[in-house]
Amino acid sequence: MKKYLTLLALVLLSGCAVTPTESWDRSAFDAAAPRSILVVPSVNRSLDVDAPNYLLSTLPVPLAEKGYYVFPINTTKVVLEQEGFYEGEQIHQQPPEDLAKLFDADAILYVTINRWDARYILLSTTVTVNFDYKLVSKDGVEIWKANQQMQYQPRNSNTGNPLADLVAAAVNAAITRASPNYLPLTRQANQRALVLGRSALPDGPYKLDGAAR
Amino acid sequence: MRAFAVFLIALAMGGCANQSLYSWGNYEQMLYQSYKDPTKTQELKATLEAHIASADQSSQRVPPGIYAELGTLYLQDGATDKAVVMYKRERDAWPESKGLMDAMISNLERVQKAGGAR
Repeated sequence: MKKYLTLLALVLLSGCAVTPTESWDRSAFDAAAPRSILVVPSVNRSLDVDAPNYLLSTLPVPLAEKGYYVFPINTTKVVLEQEGFYEGEQIHQQPPEDLAKLFDADAILYVTINRWDARYILLSTTVTVNFDYKLVSKDGVEIWKANQQMQYQPRNSNTGNPLADLVAAAVNAAITRASPNYLPLTRQANQRALVLGRSALPDGPYKLDGAAR
Repeated sequence: MRAFAVFLIALAMGGCANQSLYSWGNYEQMLYQSYKDPTKTQELKATLEAHIASADQSSQRVPPGIYAELGTLYLQDGATDKAVVMYKRERDAWPESKGLMDAMISNLERVQKAGGAR
């Protein structure tokens, strides 16, 4: 029972931490005080060509829930394509001031995908995502950044029969490798970086004044 | 002791549950699906239409960007009038979107006029 209570207390402490003391200098952020965030297509350093679009689809919900106006993700993409910008690489090289002006946005979120892979090592597959997040104000000043890595390794069973375990582990690893599921990992990374972590993004206006009904 | 545990659980679930600001329906899932398989775009459109209709009925606030996303899907179908309606709703719901929405609306109206004059 005591163990159980301790566990509960831990859940309480970690799950709903009262606003953690910030471990970063907020002055640039507070000076910019963005209300709206433009999410632009990401730079992809992984080998998976689908990674940027999948990542993109996971970003609007946590940002809007954090209290910001988030520019419509797909509309943004279409408008950028009309301007001749297709690749994240190319978009990240544009002056942020120009992009912000094009959309009338207060800030731009740039994400770089460092890792998005499934590696097979010794009978187990480890799925890894690693992202750099950077928020730049419409004046071109970097006002917040974060790096987040998440890994997943399927838990192998232990039946007491070494050979059976070995076979099961190999099958598990093969399945994970054939169709690694990056989305839950990506969502967790976003949660940590944007919402919960010690240096998470501060709450936006719609969260602060509870204006959303 | 048990009462205390129950209290703790209640606290964990109620007091600090992250209350969400909006109801998102299937937006994230469908956006992902439509990137994965572009033939799913029609489904994304249907999802957004249903979501907006149900929010209208229950006078819930539609999350940022949703009207405009639907507008853009209409635009890609060539339904300019319907697109403009959605862009206007986005603009009226979210002042932060005004600059972009006004620009898109006036572009579309200009194109429409040019088309009509021909």
